[in-house]
Amino acid sequence: MSLGYAVDALARWLTGSEDPASWAIAVAVFAVFVAPILLVVFPIAALGQILERKVAAAVQRRHGPNSVGFDGVLRLAFRVCLFFLPRARQDRLLAAFCALPGIKGLLHLARRLGLGQLVADGVKMLGKEDMVPSGADGVVFRLAPYLALTGAFLPFCAMPFAHHLVMLEVPVSALYAIAVSGITVMALLMAGWGSGNKFSLLGGMRAVAQMVSYEIPVALAIAGVVLWSGTMDLHAIVGQQYQPGVLTFLGWNLLQSPFLALLAVVFFLAGLAECQRTPFDMAEAESELVSGFNTEYSGLRWGMFAMAEYTEMLLIGALFASLFLGGYQSPIGEQWIVTWPVWLESLAHLLLFVTKVLASFLLMMWIRWTLPRLRVDQVMRLCWLKLVPLCLLAMVGLAFTILLGNGTVPGTAYGRLPALPRLDLGVLGRLAAWALPLALAAILVVAARKRHGQLHPALRQLTGGSA
Amino acid sequence: MTPAGERMTLNLGPQHPATHGVLRIVIESDGEVVAACTPDHGYLHRSIEKIGECVEWPLFVPYTDRVDYVCAMNANLAYCVAVEKLLNTSAATAVQVPLRAECIRVLVAELNRISSHLIGVGAMAMDLGAYTPFMHGIAQRELVNDIFERLCGQRLTYNYVTIGGVGFDLYAGAEAEITRFFEQFEREMVRFNKLITTSTILRDRCAGVAPINAAEAVAWGLVGPNLRASGVDWDLRRDEPYGIYGQLGVRVPVGQAFAGKNGVVGDCFDRYLVRLLEIQESVRLCREVLKMLPPPADKPTDPVGGFQADVKRLLVKPPKGEVHCRTEAPRGEMGYYIVSDGTKVPYRVRVRTGSFTAAGIFHKVMRNIFLADVVAVIGSFDVVVPEIDR
Repeated sequence: MSLGYAVDALARWLTGSEDPASWAIAVAVFAVFVAPILLVVFPIAALGQILERKVAAAVQRRHGPNSVGFDGVLRLAFRVCLFFLPRARQDRLLAAFCALPGIKGLLHLARRLGLGQLVADGVKMLGKEDMVPSGADGVVFRLAPYLALTGAFLPFCAMPFAHHLVMLEVPVSALYAIAVSGITVMALLMAGWGSGNKFSLLGGMRAVAQMVSYEIPVALAIAGVVLWSGTMDLHAIVGQQYQPGVLTFLGWNLLQSPFLALLAVVFFLAGLAECQRTPFDMAEAESELVSGFNTEYSGLRWGMFAMAEYTEMLLIGALFASLFLGGYQSPIGEQWIVTWPVWLESLAHLLLFVTKVLASFLLMMWIRWTLPRLRVDQVMRLCWLKLVPLCLLAMVGLAFTILLGNGTVPGTAYGRLPALPRLDLGVLGRLAAWALPLALAAILVVAARKRHGQLHPALRQLTGGSA
Repeated sequence: MTPAGERMTLNLGPQHPATHGVLRIVIESDGEVVAACTPDHGYLHRSIEKIGECVEWPLFVPYTDRVDYVCAMNANLAYCVAVEKLLNTSAATAVQVPLRAECIRVLVAELNRISSHLIGVGAMAMDLGAYTPFMHGIAQRELVNDIFERLCGQRLTYNYVTIGGVGFDLYAGAEAEITRFFEQFEREMVRFNKLITTSTILRDRCAGVAPINAAEAVAWGLVGPNLRASGVDWDLRRDEPYGIYGQLGVRVPVGQAFAGKNGVVGDCFDRYLVRLLEIQESVRLCREVLKMLPPPADKPTDPVGGFQADVKRLLVKPPKGEVHCRTEAPRGEMGYYIVSDGTKVPYRVRVRTGSFTAAGIFHKVMRNIFLADVVAVIGSFDVVVPEIDR
């Protein structure tokens, strides 16, 4: 039973009628659709900020946040909840609570991980003044952060978190996801324009140029997967990657064809650009544009942009997992998980999905803290002269691969998908579908190496002669 | 290109994360392209030269720290060498710096050159969006600072080199500590270079950006690594040696279009890489000096094993006259022009610094380049604003 039905049932129960067009739908939609998204996505996005600081610290051999835990929050909770008791009594109770087995360890862990920063930063942002610069276009300026957050959160409505955890069953959810995430472009442009600041304006303009351009490789990469799967429904795409047997991961799109692997790489790179991460963080470009489009923002509005950025990263990770890494499915032994009770199955799926998303998340952070930023023209050149042609090449290759009889859609655990017409050349076709693209890739790599030439001897010597 | 009236004026600095302090550059931008720019200096002017006319000879040394606080040892050294040159103009006041002091001077100057260049290349990488190399560079700089702190009690403004020698002798175990530092430092630099120097993005960002050819570099008075990056083989430590540099055989790296495919001699990448090569050379020089360091003598003024010639009496009545003395600081020639009227206070102290001339060519090279390149160019020249304004 999917949650979509739950909404229906809830609406009927609330209104006492079969008429779905009722106010209760709105309430139900919020309770059942939006609240779970916020409950799953929001904490992960918030945790992402701590994670980012920890990853940065690890890359730079620092400690990162390691002192702020939940001690203060705990004390505050005791003070507030037990306000009717004298202070000494509260302290004794607090001490008794802390003496419970495991509590001290948990508090220590929270401190070491700097988890309290979530609360501290939240309170800090709430406490800051909500400033609108005198030269700003007030309405546009104020509206932009909400739009950014909306654009980042909406695609999650159609995201299959688990087989039974899809908020909205949209038959074209892949299209829906990229369509609504496009709202973010508008938000960044509004922020850049509305701030009345030249650096913001440049940042906003860069954001628009970049995100509009990079939406094309993203869309093309998704289109490649759609071609392969024969469906635009993310949930069906995930289901189609199901492989019976123990080694479920062999069914993942990433491993189905070299062209799909290429599309995965392109999707990830273009996704990085879509969420404005280094090496594509043109719109923020701290050392050039101060802080780019969000230079003038402070407090909670700035926080919304930060949250939107991390949510966008989650979105790219979630799409990547769904399109190429089998979505919520386990890498091994998925066939057993589907036989578990629904709640346990959903929980396992959700955890697996979050794990895969976090893997992309960590990869994005690692990249950010390792690479320098590209220049504006280089970003554009990469998109139009490298990624888009690669996508088109991969699309043509995929089409031929499918025609040659590869990529037979296996039966999913939950039913079969309609088969596409095939030109079956048997083993020969399958072999060619792998050998030809790999040979092509080898030629391309050799050509690229030749064109870029060798490192200067001085550079090789500086890197210990092994560059 | 849009006509002048439709261009946008952009104030880069004085408060901007990429301008290394309070450098201000007024950019006339045509969208992302910089049509023209005007550097505006003077935000960090502290009248250091005027102060020089008001304090006694040895008391000016702490002020030289503030001329370039990223390499205060070299700044101390430049002034002290100049005053010694002045004293040596008369046989009556000639000063003989002890050999051990000379060795220590080279040691601290080269160590400080290393830590200064680490800031230079690290900050440039940071300007290009890579924050991590900067942190790794800073970590190594901190280790140098640890050594300096044990040597003279300071981590930034050392006030260590004095007229006639150095302030203190090396602490016990300093040689071993410096040797140990170099061992891990060389490993770290290999990691640093693998992380950022060989990065294709960095080379693509810097290759062919703001190239300055040798003739231009000389004509605009560039000095130090910025001059050498343009292919001019000139280093005062080798060509006009002071102290014991003459005995060390300094090897001078020059720009050779290191970036590869799109590289031009004298582009941003050459300026970046010449600094990294100089770091290597400095490590070698320090090792040489450690080999020839004489053992300490009981008497501080001992001509071989001492660390400080007795100049107190000489500085009360130095010879009249003027002297210009230049030394090779990390940011290029640091020249002191000193006029003495024979009293215990200098008549005039004039400082000529590398960042000053580097800032002079900004408006010429920052034309028709991308806005993002502007920060790369500033970073590649490694200017330190207090050195421009003084």
